[in-house]
This record gives sequence, C-alpha cells and structure tokens, in this order.
Amino acid sequence: MVEFKYNNKEHLVANILIVEDDKDLNNAYSIILNSQDHTVESAFDGQEALDKLNNFKPDLILLDLLMPIMGGLEFLQHFDLKAHPAVKVLIFTNMENSPEVAESYKLGAHRCIIKSWTAPHNLSRVINEALDSKPIPTAA
Amino acid sequence: MNNPQPAVVIQAEEQRAQAEALFNSIGEGAIATDEFGRITRINPIALELLGYREADLLGEWFPKKIVALNEQDVAINLIDRPITKAFLTGRSVTEKIFYRKKNGQHLPVQLTISPILLDDRPIGAIEVFRDITIEEEIDRMKSEFISLASHQLRTPLSAIKTYSHMLVDGYMGDVTPAQKKSLRTIIGATNRMNELISTLLNITRIESGTIVINPRMLRVDRAAEEVIKELCLAASEKTIDLSMAVSGKLATSVKTDNLILKEIITNLVSNAIKYTNDGGTVSITIRGRTKDVLITVADNGWGIPRDAHDQVFSKFFRAQNTVKRETTGTGLGLYLVKGLLDRLGGTIWFDSAEGQGTNFYFTLPKTKRPVRNLDT
Repeated sequence: MVEFKYNNKEHLVANILIVEDDKDLNNAYSIILNSQDHTVESAFDGQEALDKLNNFKPDLILLDLLMPIMGGLEFLQHFDLKAHPAVKVLIFTNMENSPEVAESYKLGAHRCIIKSWTAPHNLSRVINEALDSKPIPTAA
Repeated sequence: MNNPQPAVVIQAEEQRAQAEALFNSIGEGAIATDEFGRITRINPIALELLGYREADLLGEWFPKKIVALNEQDVAINLIDRPITKAFLTGRSVTEKIFYRKKNGQHLPVQLTISPILLDDRPIGAIEVFRDITIEEEIDRMKSEFISLASHQLRTPLSAIKTYSHMLVDGYMGDVTPAQKKSLRTIIGATNRMNELISTLLNITRIESGTIVINPRMLRVDRAAEEVIKELCLAASEKTIDLSMAVSGKLATSVKTDNLILKEIITNLVSNAIKYTNDGGTVSITIRGRTKDVLITVADNGWGIPRDAHDQVFSKFFRAQNTVKRETTGTGLGLYLVKGLLDRLGGTIWFDSAEGQGTNFYFTLPKTKRPVRNLDT
C-alpha cells in the first residue's frame, strides 16, 4: 500500500479535479490548490469533467452541484462512485441543507462544503481530512 | 281525503329544509357525521371535490370511506385523524392533510372539524374543508424561488470572500496592515450577508415544511465545541469570556442533524455575545439526562424586559432595549431557532430580567438508552 506524500507545508499532495462553472471561483481554487503542490485539472460542467476523466485520474473531485450542460448530481450518476471507491468527492455548493445535497450523499459524496462560508485555509483542511480519511492510491 | 299536517310538523319540516339549504350553500366542502363518525350529510362542493355521489357516502363511516394521508403519502391512523381528535378533545381541529378521491388521486385540503356538543356530550361533528392545490403550488414555487435566489446571491459572495481571503493570505503578493484590515472588513460583511441569506433560506424551508433533516448519532458537546471555535474571535473582540462545560455523568449523544444543531447553538451564542457588554461572560453548559440532553446558553448581558417575554420567539420581534443599542439584528434568529427545534423534536425556554442577563435552555430528545460517557 502506497501512502500519500506530504509537501513541506504539511499538506497531502494529490490529483484534484475542480468541477465548477463559475470561472472566478474555479480559477481561485486552482491557484490555492496549485500553491499546495496538488496536481489540478479544471472542468466547468459535469460533461467536461467526465471527458477529463479519460486522461486524468483524480484522488479527489471538488464538485459543484448547479452547473450548465451537466450538473453535479448527474455527473455522480454517470461517474458511479461505487466503481471508483478510491476517489473522494467533496460537494462544493451554496445549496445549504437542500434535497440536492441529501441526494449527493446517497450517491456517495464524502462531504458537503458551503462555498460562501469556506475560507481557503478551511478548504485546504477539509481536503486534507478527506484525503487522509482512508488509504487511496499514490498521488502524482 | 287528505289529512292536513299539524302546524308543528310543517314547522319542523321547514326548519329541516332551511338547515339543508344552509348546509348545501356552504361555499366549501362540508361533511356532517353522527356521534359514531357516520356521514349524515355532505354538500355538493364536497362531493365534487372528492369525486363521489351522495349515495356513495351517506351512512358510511367517515374515517374508513374517505382515506386521509399525510405529506409522505402514508394513510393517517384513526387515532391521528382530525375527527378522532375533535371527538376526544371536544374542540375544533384545523389541519392540512390529503384526501384520497374516488378516482385515487390525492387532494390537498385545509380542514376544520368541530364536534357538535349537546350538554357537553358530542352528538356529531361537522367538517369544512377546501382544496388548497393552488396555495400548495404557489408555496412550492415561492420556496423554489427563494432557494434559487439565495443560491444566486451567494455565488458572487463566494467569489468576494474567496478572493478577499486570498489577498489577506498573500496569494497575490504582500499587502499592508491597513489593506489587510480593510479586507477583513470586507470578509466580515460577506459573513453577515451569508448569515442573512442562511436565515431567510431556513425560515422559508421551515414554513414550507421542506427543510431536510439528516439525523445521525452525535455528541452535543462536540457540536458546541465547533461553534465555540467559530465564535471565539467575535467573543474576544468584545473581551467576552466564552466557555463551555459538560455536567453530569449521562451521555450527551443524541440522534439529530449536526448542521441544524450547530445553527441553533450558533444563533443563541452569537445573540448572547451581541447583547452582552464588553468584558462580560457567555457560557454553554451541556447536561446529558435520562431522556434528553439539556443545553443552557447563559450570559450576563442586557437581558430581556419582562413585557417582551411573550414575543421573544415571534418573527421580526426585537426588544426595545436591543433596538436602541444594537441595530444589526433582524428579529429572525430566535424565531428560526424555535422553528428548527420544533423540527428536531426539542423544546426551548428562557429566564431573563433586564440588566441581569439571560439563560436560554433547550432540550434534544434521546432516541437510544443513555450510556455513560467514558471521558467525562
């Protein structure tokens, strides 16, 4: 079993796919996660995320729910987390306490974070906790 | 030769016809029963709404013939039917339920059923109900609109907050202390806007019955600790001593929704901080009891005037002594707390006197046999 590497800032280093249709937020998360030595790919809707998965094998997916073309729930139905037990999905949404969030848990999401409440350092902490919560394949 | 009817019989028949006409003229569905719940009268509007003919229903036992369902499409037990409650309590009962029509469709109705009492003894009941399909639809659309509007309001707020934090944290290069201070002001303002959106969203969900509850076993003291971590900065800015203690030996575990519980504690503690002078104290005490967990949020702040006690949990209510000194409240926090606790099966009360602080108490029911905490 291969464990995650830590960088010199005590962050676990992983492959992370950001699926967020808001370009400003997608860009911000890329900057933050890249600065922590993660390997980051961005998609702007669920369909683009599915396409990216052909060539990119993420350890963690940061997934928005409300997106054009294909939303987060539909993405989870296509991606099927049961077939990818090593991949953690963090729902990153502003739809607090909503039926959509409850549904995402049924589809295997690890945790839900409310975007407008979450400062960058908290995002990093939650990602670290998610990555650390069970052994998953080695990061890039 | 026809015998003329006695005047008293004619008068009685006239009265019966008048009562019949009166009953049939009620502008909403109306059903009358005898003391056993058998249908004795049903007006044309009720027949139209339920899709029955009069002959289908007269003499039938109301609870059996007309099936009532709750919001989960489950048939309501006889003991919980409004007619049973009306007979048992001797009082009018008003409820929103669904009736199963003759064709199997479900009809949302708002009903009021009252026992007909003669010498304090029920001799029957009369129910008036109306179709609330349109109101339900409007309510659903209103909830969807607020949910969507809240989401859309939060999207730009998320970008403002995230980029402000990135600037403070130096992702875009060094910033001066003065710039940092301004950025923190922006972050504080976005947090307040967020709170307002959350409150409005939660109130809408409570009022429309669409709030989602995800119960799981959790320790109330752990949830409270998380809230304290988030609020200790606000307390320290007013040099308020914020503390937490677990008392007693019984477990503080309950099966409830973590996010909603934290929302309740956050509201009570942030209120306590807001309405307590600099240098005051705010304490949370959590006590596991046999059937529930009791949480106390106590402060030595401004207190609630006696004449405001009855309205503390009312929507938009703010006591006069707070309105004069603190302008940022909405009067929605305690209304929300009460609504959330109702959904979790808890209760809330308080004692307070102006100038002497306030103790808020709330309980959360335990669903499992209490066990001792090993680490308390």
